[in-house]
Formats: sequence, structure tokens, C-alpha cells
Amino acid sequence: MEIHFDWRLSRVVDDQGNIVDEIVWDGPMSPSGVAKRLLKIQQGRKLPEVITLAGRFPDAAIDPLGSLSDPNWPKAEEPDELFRRATLTLAKMGVAESSGDMDRRLDMLVSATLEARSSWTTSESRCIEWAGLFITEADLDSQRDEIPSAISSSQSIAEASEKLGVNPPKHLPSDSEWSSMVSHALAVSSSSDILEQLEVSIREIATIHVPSLSALLGPISAAKLIALAGGRERLARMPSGSLQVLGAHAAMSAHRRGAPPPKHGSVLFSMPQVSRSPRWVRGKIARYLAGKASIAVRVDHFDGEAWGKSQIDEINGEIEAIKTKFPKPPKRR
Amino acid sequence: MANKAKSIVWGVRREGRTLWTRNAVKGISVRGERRKRDGRIEWRRWDPTKSKVAAALLRTSSEPSSLLPDPGSTCLYLGASSGGTVSHIHDFVCGADNHHGGQVVAVEISPRMVRDLVTLSDRRAGLVPVLGDARKPAQVAAFIRGKANWIHQDLSIADQAQTFVRMATTFLTPGGIGILSLKAASERSSEGNDNLRFQKAERILRESDLVLLERIDLTGLEEQHVVFSCAQASDAITAANSTP
Repeated sequence: MEIHFDWRLSRVVDDQGNIVDEIVWDGPMSPSGVAKRLLKIQQGRKLPEVITLAGRFPDAAIDPLGSLSDPNWPKAEEPDELFRRATLTLAKMGVAESSGDMDRRLDMLVSATLEARSSWTTSESRCIEWAGLFITEADLDSQRDEIPSAISSSQSIAEASEKLGVNPPKHLPSDSEWSSMVSHALAVSSSSDILEQLEVSIREIATIHVPSLSALLGPISAAKLIALAGGRERLARMPSGSLQVLGAHAAMSAHRRGAPPPKHGSVLFSMPQVSRSPRWVRGKIARYLAGKASIAVRVDHFDGEAWGKSQIDEINGEIEAIKTKFPKPPKRR
Repeated sequence: MANKAKSIVWGVRREGRTLWTRNAVKGISVRGERRKRDGRIEWRRWDPTKSKVAAALLRTSSEPSSLLPDPGSTCLYLGASSGGTVSHIHDFVCGADNHHGGQVVAVEISPRMVRDLVTLSDRRAGLVPVLGDARKPAQVAAFIRGKANWIHQDLSIADQAQTFVRMATTFLTPGGIGILSLKAASERSSEGNDNLRFQKAERILRESDLVLLERIDLTGLEEQHVVFSCAQASDAITAANSTP
């Protein structure tokens, strides 16, 4: 005996194909009502009628695909406007649901930061070079951070030089040239603000979404790893060896063609524990850290207890131990 | 016109090297394709470089109509994306206001793509958008009205052939047609080069309960892609379903 069902009808059918019992759904015939039932079936949960029938016939097997091959299954009345509206409602609900997905939100933030940063570096260096062309006495290294704001907040280039504490330039830009410099400098300082704002939001969301991983690698790196892996779940199911080389795509594809494997990806290398260590232990530390990061993200994803300071300190101590164990570079053969 | 129009099935015709479907929603292009009027009928260009089904129609060595569903049939489209190809299938399976009474179930996992699919389905009766995993029969079963006459699978994820066998044997009616668009780049790189991956897929299809009809190479229209056309064996299924 089998239980067959679709959103409107549930039936108990015996081995000869005879209908033993059936319940027709008599709930509200509205698009959202039907959509909820369709969602229930799609998620593999049991409809109430199926539960009732299973209670009446405990030995009947529930077959979710049974109604498709059942030759006696009644055809839907055509055209079925209600079903059509319900599927549209359900698809829209699913699309709306995707904004609740922290992975997608984090991905937007990380990608926006990446793009904003790459455009910021070009504009910022252009702004500095431009100002340096006129204000020749300014120190372009030590005063770098002040230059965009000095330009954008001044009425003339003489005023800007004064703010930077140097003599006014020999040749002055024309009025419209100066206005262009000012608006360019304004864009640079506003994009610095945007970048800062973006990083604040990444920190906020990453510390909620992956607390342990954020504690271990910092929220920004944690967010980058999730974006690279394509979601927290994927990162959690990833072997730590793959996590170790996230962000080293070029090196990995070179490795497939015979080059030596990369020791670490860009994200792990950005960790001071890796990048500030002598080169002969970087691989060992990256491997160790990747293992711990992989455990951390599993703790976060599978509802474990988030790591605190004591665990992080223990890991950092272990990293120091690796460094002291290998104080000298290995002998070249 | 140099080439005489040749009808493939109702609503699909070929003019020389171009394919056209009878637009179910007059005056609207789905992704900016050309439209043209022929009396009261409007035809919409079916671009073989964007649609693997259209490419397969041009490249097949058998009768093109054998690759397509009949008007009014039940179709399952796995990996519908934003619905470019789906709209053409809908054009001739359902027609304007679904006067053929067909059903095209379009399954897609990405919410971004389903968003476009919903907009499309709003205007096209008979087209059912489903946000779900096209590899899992249970996620699709609730939306399809019965066994499908035609299935097309176009997923870019590993194990395309195994998934296709599972979905097609579950959902195809006896004698129904299954089309698999296989993208070599989506299979695992450890399985060898493109050709080896195609061969592996072919072997899986041959060893399955499906009947492999043809392997269609799309080189020139769609790189690194091969289309397999299969049919659900009619005897095996009827034997399994018939009640003694």
C-alpha cells in the first residue's frame, strides 16, 4: 500500500491500484495558501492530510513521486489559474528570502570593497601626483594623507600650500583647472569615507555570521574567505588544504601544470602570523592556521560554541612554538 | 526571400540557417532578439549561439522535430537561468495564453535568475518558475502535473550525466525525449580533457535505462558543449507500471 499526494489531494492506493482512502484539501483556495503547501512538499515536509492518512494506514509507504506515475490520478482542471498564481507567489517569496542570506550580503560588501579599493588607489595616487606637480615642496610621503583634504578644503592653490606648511607654487593652475583638482580631491576623500564605512559594515556582519573565524583571522579576512569560497557552508565543508590556498588561483592552476604548490593564498598571507614570519616557516604556519580556520568556520556554521580569547591565545602560542622550533632556514641541497 | 521557410513543428520554423518561433507574447522580445511579422503572426528569432537547443536543431543529423516537444505537452527544463531558451519552448508548447494547454516547468537555483524568470512567467501562462535544486526530484515533483514528454537539462555543475539519468528516468513518460546539454568545463578537471569527459558522460548514458539516440557536437555555435538526445525506453516502463 502506498500514499500518493499532490497539493490538492492525498490518497491511499493498494497494490492493485484501487483507491482505499482519500482526503481532498479544503483549505483556503488562495495563491498564498497553495504556495505554502507547495513549499511544504518541496521541502520534503508532510502535508497534514498525508499525516492523517499515515495514521489511518500505518503500513502504507509515502511516495512523493507516486502521483506522477499513478494512472488513475485525476488531471488538474485546465487552465489552472490558481496554481499558476501560487507558483509565481512562491518563486517571488523565494527571491525575497534571498536577502536574508548573510552569505549574499557579505559577498556584496566584500565585492563592493574590492572594487572601491581598486578605484581608490588609482584616484588617490593621481591626486597626490597632481598636487605634487604644483606644490613642489610638499613631502609626498609623510604628508600623503593630508594632501587630498588640503586641496579639497581650499579656495586656491596658495591656500592649500599654506595648509601643508610650504611655499606657494611658481606656476598657478587656471581657475577651471583648479576646480577640477578640487572636485577630484573631493572624490578621493569621499571614496576613503565610503571604504571606511564598508569595512565597518563588514566587521559588524562578519562578527555575527562567523564569530570564531572572525576572532581567529579578523572579520575582514573572514569575510574575504567566505566570499572566495562562495558561502559559509561551502567554506565549512572545504578541506583545510583548499582553504589554505584560497585566493591563489593563478598559483593553483600553475600547480596543476607542474609548478610547486602555493604555500598560502592571499587571505592567509595577509595575516601577520604568516607574512611577518621567516619565509621557511610560512608554509608550516599557513597550514596550521588553515586547519584552525577550517575548524573555526565549522564551529560557526554547525552551531558550535564560538571561540573566545583563550582559544585564540592558545593558537597564537602554538604558532610561536613553530617559529622557535625552526629558527634557521633549512640547508640548501 | 532566398530560403523558403520550413516548418519543424507547430510554431517553429527554419529559414536557411536561422530558426524562428511563433511569439506567444506579441511585440515583446525576451533578450533583445529580432522579431518579424508575417501577416498576423509574429516570429521571434531563436539564436543558436545563445540556446543549445536551437544549436542542436541545426546540427542534428536526424529529423529536427524529433528533438522537440509537441504543442500541449508537459516539459521540464532543468537549469532555466533567466529563461531565454525556456521562452522559445513556451512559444510553441503553450502558445499565446496557453491555448495548447501545455506546461513548461522551469527549475533554477539562483534567486537572481528566478527573478527574471518570474517576470517572464507573469506574461506567459503555462510557464511555471521553480526556485529549487534541479538535481533533486523531490524539489520538482510538486510543480509538474504528471510525467513529462520532454526534458532538457542544462546545469553547470559536476556529474551532469548522472543527474540527467536520475531526473529523466524519474520524470520522463515512456517514449518521452530527454535532451542533455553537457558542458565540459563544468565537470571535474581530474577527469581528463574535454573529450574524455564527453566520453565518460556517453558511457553513463549508454549504461543507463535511457536509450541514447544521438550525440550532437555544437562546435562553432557553442564551444566545449555536446548535446545528447535520449528517449525513455517504452517497454521497460510499461512493464514496470502495468498491473497484473
